[in-house]
Amino acid sequence: MSKCLKIFLFASFLVFPFAATAEVTVASWGGAYTESQIKAYVDTYDAATVKFENYNGGLGEVRAQVESGSVIWDVVDVLPDQAITGCDEGLFEDISAEYKNFTPAPDGTGMIEDMANSGVTNLSDCCAPQIFWTYVVFYDPDAFSGEKPSRIADFFDTAKFPGKRGIHTWANAIVEMALVADGVSPKGVYKVLKNQTGALDRAFAKLDTIKDDIVFWSAGSKPLELVKSGEVVMSIAYNGRVGAANLSEGENFEYIWEGQVIEQEYICLVSGSPNREEALAWMIHASSPESQALQAKYITYGPMRASGIDLIKAGEPWFHTGIEVMSHMPNTPELLKISVMGDPVWWSDNGAEIHERYGAWMGN
Amino acid sequence: MEVNISTAEQILTTDGIPLKVSLRKTERKNKIKAFLLVFPLLIFIIVTFVVPIGDMLLRSTDDSQINSVYPNTFEEYIKWDKNESELPPEAVFKALYLEFEQVVPNIRLDKDADATKLKRLRSQEVGKALTRMNYSKSGWKSLIKKTRKKILKNVKNGEKVEGSYKDALIEINKDWADPTFWYSMSQMLNERTSIYYWNAIDRTFDQDSNVVMQPENRRLYIATWIKTFKVSVYVTFFCLILGFPVAHLLANLPLRYSNILMIFVLLPFWTSLLVRTTAWIVMLQQNGVINGVLVWLGILSDEGRIQMVYNQTGTIIAMTQILLPFMVLPLYSVMKVIPKSHMRAAQNLGAKPANAFRRVYLPQTVPGMSAGGLLVFVLAIGYFITPELVGGKDGQLIGHWIAYHLKSSLNWGLCSALGGILLGIMLVLYWLYNKIVGIDNIKLG
Repeated sequence: MSKCLKIFLFASFLVFPFAATAEVTVASWGGAYTESQIKAYVDTYDAATVKFENYNGGLGEVRAQVESGSVIWDVVDVLPDQAITGCDEGLFEDISAEYKNFTPAPDGTGMIEDMANSGVTNLSDCCAPQIFWTYVVFYDPDAFSGEKPSRIADFFDTAKFPGKRGIHTWANAIVEMALVADGVSPKGVYKVLKNQTGALDRAFAKLDTIKDDIVFWSAGSKPLELVKSGEVVMSIAYNGRVGAANLSEGENFEYIWEGQVIEQEYICLVSGSPNREEALAWMIHASSPESQALQAKYITYGPMRASGIDLIKAGEPWFHTGIEVMSHMPNTPELLKISVMGDPVWWSDNGAEIHERYGAWMGN
Repeated sequence: MEVNISTAEQILTTDGIPLKVSLRKTERKNKIKAFLLVFPLLIFIIVTFVVPIGDMLLRSTDDSQINSVYPNTFEEYIKWDKNESELPPEAVFKALYLEFEQVVPNIRLDKDADATKLKRLRSQEVGKALTRMNYSKSGWKSLIKKTRKKILKNVKNGEKVEGSYKDALIEINKDWADPTFWYSMSQMLNERTSIYYWNAIDRTFDQDSNVVMQPENRRLYIATWIKTFKVSVYVTFFCLILGFPVAHLLANLPLRYSNILMIFVLLPFWTSLLVRTTAWIVMLQQNGVINGVLVWLGILSDEGRIQMVYNQTGTIIAMTQILLPFMVLPLYSVMKVIPKSHMRAAQNLGAKPANAFRRVYLPQTVPGMSAGGLLVFVLAIGYFITPELVGGKDGQLIGHWIAYHLKSSLNWGLCSALGGILLGIMLVLYWLYNKIVGIDNIKLG
């Protein structure tokens, strides 16, 4: 008996250190978004302990970790242009060879094709899909007594709808919205930006028309405060924040879906990740259609995999409070027609220059 | 100090060792002991202060990345006479094409790496260079990525370039016929560069490496520097104006009152920065407390609410309140030790109160004002989070752009140059201060 015990103790000592190291660290944005990730991807996962850490975006920390050789994060939740740059620079590990092991859609469609069905080309070989989120204009209908704004052009029309507008302090999505408001079709925005000289000037000229009525924000929670307190009558915001206010906090905000700019979100494997195998296994779990649909129970960001949307539609009312969620989803087929699909390649080429120009414009 | 003592006069200790040697020995022991005591601190300072700052300064001039990725291209490139032809000669195109074909990294990191790994390392080399090249001209990134992909595909299919490499590249992407891309390469020639410092003051290099202004709509940094400076000067000024009477009051009240008042200075000092910043937003916004009270009192009309936040006013108000303790505390500790008899003596000798204050009291507070002023100014010039939250469009001080280049654009060269300039400004201020007031005059308590 005691011999058995000894062997057992000895064995557990052998096993223990290995079991203890299998903790996957994921860096993500925090707030309601990370909460929804934990509910959908961590609480449903037993194979390893997954720990979330907050960060403020950007590749700065990842680059510092990889360059100094002391990698702490295994997986990072990033924007698409960072997924591209990080993969190019070798900050993220190429996992394209593993894509075949990722969960296919219920009908057997592979992951990459499943993404293509929602209109996304996989731009980075180092990452797995997460969600669609959008820059969208919203307002409090009580702020307008008569006609309510309904088109993106109304956002830029302070004569028709007087009052201040909330806009973020960096240039993404604003350029696109200004062009759509100026009459460019949502699908043609990047064609105009790439091929017409002076397209940027046109966007900035449109912005000039409302410049005196802008309140600039830089934190994602700000636009809701601004609209709620009446500081502005309309604001650009992340759609999930507006959805959360409507679905969980009883607000009654309206969206202007036209001209919204759809952005993607990826999870990427950091080069030299200390728990590579466990991290990869978790990424497979977190990018399966079922997990992605599950996340939409807690936040109104759309799954990037087309089969995830199908699961939500079939399961309505899907939101965890028992409300229908599809009317708050930014990427339904109807909305895709009037939305701009953000082009991360164009932004990674031109972003730095446009941000500086935007900063100069703001300061003048 | 060396004292020459001839061997004959040597004094010996009881165990026969010359006294001098024995003394030196104990002295050395003490020195080593003292050094060992400060050694951890020394290491700490080197690791956390000297090395990072040195690294930052090195990075701000480092441009070795691209040269090591496309060495042959650059070698040919410098031979190109830009007055002679609009596009570089065939040799440049050829060198570049061949370096695109290359799948082995120029810096071997791993001796026994297999082909796939080498190929990946080369791609990463190119990838890093691309991020850098894109700072000089937008569009480099996808131009090279697309071209390289196509060329590697051609190599795989066994296709060779027949005829001119120039035509081959232009056929792959018409942007290769755009001279502005080629011109921008002249910014990347040397391993050490000053371009980031020039960028940090809105200047750049033209195709002949002359320093020229950035295009008008990209001129950003000079305005930002001026704005940052202006805000810091205002904040320091208001802190001094507000802090002086408070410190004076604290220093001259009986202890039991001044202790209570001191709490009012220290309590906000201990409160989280974010809480104080957010509180100011609640106070100052258009539907906030101050505007609300003014409208309720009938001083303002409902439409005439004042914009006090999300602009420079808000930034200065919030920063002044947050940095105020840094002014009050050094002033207080200096005023505390100024004997009250001085003012009385001056007045006894016939000076009017104002005169006595100006000529006797004020000069004695200069060390406190200097310490407080420098402290507040230094903190204000690098401030980030408060202007970011309450400043709106005016809140983007230089700290904002340092953070942006560190995290988002990954332009660490420019980021370091901005930091380097900030450091330079501080050193110049310190030097000026030393010249005018004298640094031994500074006093924190």
